[in-house]
Amino acid sequence: MKLTSELPTDAVDVIVVGSGAAGSIMAAKLAEGGKRVLILEAGPARDAGNLISSTLYARRLKWTGPPVIEGGKNPVGFVFNAGFGVGGAAMHHYAVWPRLHAEDFDMRTRHGKGLDWPIRYEDLAPYYDQVQEEAGISGDAQQEKWRPPGAPYPMPPVAVFAQGTVIARGFERLGKSVAPLPLAVTSTAYKGRAACIWDGWCDAGCPIGALANPLTVYLPRAIAAGADLIADTPVTKVLTSEDGSKAIGVEVIAQDGSRRTVRAGLVVLATFAIENPRLLLASATEKHPQGLGNSGGMVGRYVMTHAAGLVFGLFDEDTRPYMGAFGGQLVNQDSYPKTTHAKSGAFGSYQWMIAQAVKPNDLLGISTTRPDLYGAKLHDFMQRAARGFAGMTAVCEDLPLAENRVTLADEKDARGAPLAKVVHDTHPESIALWQASLSEGKKVFEAAGAKEVWSGGAGTMHIMGGTVMGKSAKDSVTNSYGQLHDIPNLVLAGPGLFPTSGGVNPTYTVHALAARSAEFLLKNWNSRQ
Amino acid sequence: LEALGEVLLPGSAAEGLAHFIDHQLSGPAANSMLMIKYLGMPAPFVDFYRSGLKAIDAAAMNRFKKNLTVLSADDASTLAGQMAAGEIPNWAGPPAALFYFVLRNDAVDVTYGTQAGFEKLNVPYMPHILPPSRWGE
Repeated sequence: MKLTSELPTDAVDVIVVGSGAAGSIMAAKLAEGGKRVLILEAGPARDAGNLISSTLYARRLKWTGPPVIEGGKNPVGFVFNAGFGVGGAAMHHYAVWPRLHAEDFDMRTRHGKGLDWPIRYEDLAPYYDQVQEEAGISGDAQQEKWRPPGAPYPMPPVAVFAQGTVIARGFERLGKSVAPLPLAVTSTAYKGRAACIWDGWCDAGCPIGALANPLTVYLPRAIAAGADLIADTPVTKVLTSEDGSKAIGVEVIAQDGSRRTVRAGLVVLATFAIENPRLLLASATEKHPQGLGNSGGMVGRYVMTHAAGLVFGLFDEDTRPYMGAFGGQLVNQDSYPKTTHAKSGAFGSYQWMIAQAVKPNDLLGISTTRPDLYGAKLHDFMQRAARGFAGMTAVCEDLPLAENRVTLADEKDARGAPLAKVVHDTHPESIALWQASLSEGKKVFEAAGAKEVWSGGAGTMHIMGGTVMGKSAKDSVTNSYGQLHDIPNLVLAGPGLFPTSGGVNPTYTVHALAARSAEFLLKNWNSRQ
Repeated sequence: LEALGEVLLPGSAAEGLAHFIDHQLSGPAANSMLMIKYLGMPAPFVDFYRSGLKAIDAAAMNRFKKNLTVLSADDASTLAGQMAAGEIPNWAGPPAALFYFVLRNDAVDVTYGTQAGFEKLNVPYMPHILPPSRWGE
């Protein structure tokens, strides 16, 4: 993929800030719609050759930009969740792509908790269908009995190995069912991409194109349609017109270190859930003294993260836990209805990602599941677990709270820009949901015949909210297309738009929202101006 | 560093624990392969390691009146257990449990996180792209 290094001196139609999941699809759709698109990426250039099969080298894909100051009882784990460089966090994402459910979109109306989205599932369903055909998802829509309406998956289900078979036995013995996990990973050759060989290196980035990351799907399309992509060029602020009604471009630090201005008719911020609000707040002007899009004081609020319900076991069988996809092999969404565990004081949805491929080391590796072990006992455990280990993860919904928010810190980065500070405390009903998932998961493993069963500590995965969509500036930052209520030609994309987190992985919904937004922007190009 | 590594995972010194950490600390943070980068600590990480090692040395001296490097296996293990629980009196360094967690995982990284480490567990490596070296050296 060809990158450029020359910033344009004339105005472009669109600047897309960020080249991850949201930025890459926005850039592709807008460029294919005939717009002149410039993608600006703060981090380094990256290509498939950088995606080295090593848990150690994989750490280079994580965030290494200006630090984010984390606070609260349950920090969001920014560095682990974020990415840096071309492709963003999606370069190390696991491609678990289930859909949100209808009840995620009107939770406030149905249950009096959290927020409502300004759209319903039916509004997003056509874009889920569109994206799944373009990016490719492997799965079995019929077996996935919980799945909301939509087109069948374009590829057959992913492979199930011994670890998946063993855990499925536990679900079945408890009268529960499992289905193939919907993964944006090729189970067969697809649109010129090779089929996955199930080696479990998804987290290190997939260099063969089996996993639908930005380098594989939407960035090549964007470039082919004429978009320019410049790496190592951080945006420092969004520039607005004198009357404050329009975005007119961005200020960047060019590769030569100079501070430059690039002008555009439309600016799309796709820099993930923490940097998007940081940029809005850091772009304050006389007309927008509290930051852009912040007339209602909503920028930065409702940051969410999924609590990870981690359950593990050791079996007598050889589970071959290194085989498969990093995201897992099977899914169960029996606990998706939000009041399923109400008797335990819990509220919200969760799903199980079952039988994730594991490596010996790293934060999600075998060794870290038993942080209490050291010395000879750790060696012994590693030998036993390399053969008989199994694990699954609950993706537990996080109730949105206004006080969980991104603000500007007093501390500055090397260029004098204020750092982001993010505070996150998990709601007690969400903690109860996480505890309920652990309780259920242990029962499943016991029913499956595990010789040892244990659970992990409270971890977090995914970051959402912070610039939520809604119906007015009083209760949200953008409309359903990601346009700022206050500045319609400044558009946000990414999981920051989510008013609720649901109990599923966010990347598929990020793509569907961006596809919907891009279509709207193209159809209404002249009126937007 | 190696003495503590040997308590946490015997054999990790010979696998290059000190070299691994030194090498990662000597390069730009953007290229670092240390797990500490995930855990909310700002780069550079050298002070994290220095102050942690200083604190564990002081703890060994306080509790056993000996340097960490000459503690018996039982005493060293007792100290490691207290570190893991974050229960070392007068600990003056990064949180003891965090330091334990990081250094233990560094030891696991060099022992089991390389191609040779996978072989020790009979786990097939199955690379798409083989790492050019163990950890960027």
